[in-house]
Amino acid sequence: MRATQDRVAPADAGECAAILAQAGAEGRMVGIGGGLTKHYLGDAASLDIELRTTSIAGIVDHVPADLTVTVAAGTRFADLRAALARAGQFLPIDTPHADDATIGGVIAANANGFWRARYGGVRDLLIGTRVALTDGTVIRSGGRVVKNVAGYDLNKLFVGSFGTLGVIVEATFKVLPIPAAEAGLIARFGTASDAFNAAAIIARAPARAEAVVVERQPDGWGLVVSARGDDKTVARAVADARHAAGSSAESAAVGDRLALARELPARAVEGALVRVALPLASQTAFAEAAARRDTFRELVADASSAVHRVHLIGEDDAVAEDAGALVANARAAGGTGRIERRSARLSERLRTWPDAPLGETLMRRLKTQFDPAGILEPGRSPG
Amino acid sequence: MATAVRAGMRGTALVRALQELLGAKKVLGTPEELLIYEYDGAVDTATPDAVALPESTADVSALARFCYEHAVPIVPRGAGTGLSGGAIPVEGGVVVSFARMARILEIDVPNLRAVVQPGVINLHLSTATAPHGLYFVPDPSSQKACTLGGNVAENSGGPHTLAYGVTTNHVTGLELVLSDGTVVRLGGKAVESEGYDLVGTFVGSEGTLGIVTEITVKLTPLPEDKRTLIAAFPTMDEASETVSSIIAAGIVPSAIEMMDQLATQAVEASVSAGYPLDAGGILLVEIDGARDGLDDVREKIEAICRAHDASTIRVAATALERERLWAGRKGAFAAMGRLSPDYYVQDGVIPRTRLPEILRLVKESGERHGVRIANVFHAGDGNIHPLIMFDLRNGPDELERAKETSIEILTACVEAGGSLTGEHGVGMEKNCYMPLQFAPADLAAMRRVKDAFDPAGLANPGKVFPTPGRCREFSLAARR
Repeated sequence: MRATQDRVAPADAGECAAILAQAGAEGRMVGIGGGLTKHYLGDAASLDIELRTTSIAGIVDHVPADLTVTVAAGTRFADLRAALARAGQFLPIDTPHADDATIGGVIAANANGFWRARYGGVRDLLIGTRVALTDGTVIRSGGRVVKNVAGYDLNKLFVGSFGTLGVIVEATFKVLPIPAAEAGLIARFGTASDAFNAAAIIARAPARAEAVVVERQPDGWGLVVSARGDDKTVARAVADARHAAGSSAESAAVGDRLALARELPARAVEGALVRVALPLASQTAFAEAAARRDTFRELVADASSAVHRVHLIGEDDAVAEDAGALVANARAAGGTGRIERRSARLSERLRTWPDAPLGETLMRRLKTQFDPAGILEPGRSPG
Repeated sequence: MATAVRAGMRGTALVRALQELLGAKKVLGTPEELLIYEYDGAVDTATPDAVALPESTADVSALARFCYEHAVPIVPRGAGTGLSGGAIPVEGGVVVSFARMARILEIDVPNLRAVVQPGVINLHLSTATAPHGLYFVPDPSSQKACTLGGNVAENSGGPHTLAYGVTTNHVTGLELVLSDGTVVRLGGKAVESEGYDLVGTFVGSEGTLGIVTEITVKLTPLPEDKRTLIAAFPTMDEASETVSSIIAAGIVPSAIEMMDQLATQAVEASVSAGYPLDAGGILLVEIDGARDGLDDVREKIEAICRAHDASTIRVAATALERERLWAGRKGAFAAMGRLSPDYYVQDGVIPRTRLPEILRLVKESGERHGVRIANVFHAGDGNIHPLIMFDLRNGPDELERAKETSIEILTACVEAGGSLTGEHGVGMEKNCYMPLQFAPADLAAMRRVKDAFDPAGLANPGKVFPTPGRCREFSLAARR
């Protein structure tokens, strides 16, 4: 799907920008990769150059007392996590593919996990970027401060842009101290509506949980809650969650189960994986309808942010029909969706974005402004 | 290009044409009517050719289309409380007031969202949602007057953004009218949308990318409880070191505000909030959330304050006492009128560990230029607000010295890895200073965004980007 001729791994931002400029001048198509964990994103496109950011790596600056860290984009997320942990801090993004993903890839794919409602998503935690553009320049946006309104917030433009506007070479994030205490809770429900109603109460409770996840199980619907913070706040969060979840609730270590749920994109090799973002109150209806599809295999919902992933497996025709129907359901509910992953066989017939996104005309104009030759990630531009 | 004025319809011809387009009662055009739209909360003024009072998105679209066809600049205006000249029609044209698009369209409790028109006043939204146990987090000091459209344009902050983020973290959907009249809907009630984050790109663009006609915002459950305290320190150094220690201890209060002695005295004379008058520096700290852990955290904060020689620590025992402590902070800018007839509010940001040194620099810079400076600011964010006082009655020299002090402070903020502005915006106050913080390539990238949204350059021209005419003087000064 992404056959390439040349592989390059620039050593620094300047070299990266020079490669882009030359590729632009020659009209050669560039694919961008870090850990290549999310290679499945986007539509098929032939590439002339595969640019790896992995040599642009390392912690640039970590000021624990400021709760900020600046890191080169090719740094593995796991390496950043280890470095921050040595100072008792963490970057509160529980990104999928956390072992091998790079920082640049997490930003470019807006790869949030279940913690978004508690700590904010990539867009909320990212306070500065350096990006190599196809005109050969390296631009800086934001900075190392937590509040900043000087000029346009270009950080936001690059989050989730899949490398279609430029190559992120450096990022600065807000970080937090690692909380002292943690606890987990699981519960089971007969209906989706009971599960999501309990989840909604927990997500709005004063001692805010870190993750509130609903899963479809063979015999019903499961709820997984984790909380971190100081002892008293965690105790309160669990007590409130237990109250909301009712008789089936029990304390449990939930780390492994959440990790398994989070890594659904890594497991969904066969069939298709649909990812949707919904208005909070539309979750029950969406999840029930998803579970009724013939090709339904698995559903994992970040119930506090209303981001659902549905894995479909079966005959190609049936999977394609169901996937399209789920994205349409999300749109009809006022949400949005994409085919996040699908088997090679399905990639011809299932486009990543079945419909044009809102604001498509503006997106095309931005793409033309930043990448006039249209060389960056040709298969990953929405619309 | 020596002057900023472009060709296009202007003056009474424009007023008459707009009256024909929108109806006479939606357009103001007499000199008396225009007079009150020539200023905002900043120091610069300029008179519009006309003021439009649209009542619908269709009105705004028709207006923008007309302006596009006749090369007329279009400048949106909320309540005019902005502190960087964002609502000033520096190149003339039409000021668009949202006084008649000020309805809360929907309070959607199950989805934790509200849909509002841009003219809704910030505090009115939280008042309307309070019965549902919800509020809109960003709370600029002007929240009793400022509008949500203005908040979106400026990406407004406020004291409580330390823990919960600024406007951009609380907006999920927008309806825009582009400068050619096109109506565009972006985002919605979901936490994200497919494609580029155009909502995030638009928030904070100061009216230069288009006009907001509808906003979808997040509503947040009201905290179960709060603890609010003030601590008085012998010097500003000790107060700012306390801020660093609180942050470094892993405590993220909902607000940490700081005030120096000069500001305290003005505030006490004005609202008598009960701040100690003899302190060199005062911190106002608030924590909120679940009741259970709050007193433990409060005790930790008190211990940190005492370790930095706090002389007085007072905890608000009642909601009324809390309000009184906050009334002092929120009324601080207004109280400055007691100290000086004119002042500049600066708005630099630095990494918070650099607070002690930047505050010393502010003091020295003021002394060197012979201007008095009071400090009232969001210490937890590293967002300083030096109030540089001057008296125009003493001639233009004082204003010049205040400006020179400003530039010195902002330059130091940028050199410390910070920013020219944390929440007040660039507008026409700091557009000439943008090259202090941004390289030509950085500004060129922003220009690409501008060209994608507003290729004709009619959306609030003369803001954000340095303009050759007005900024020549500054670039000469910078080169000296």
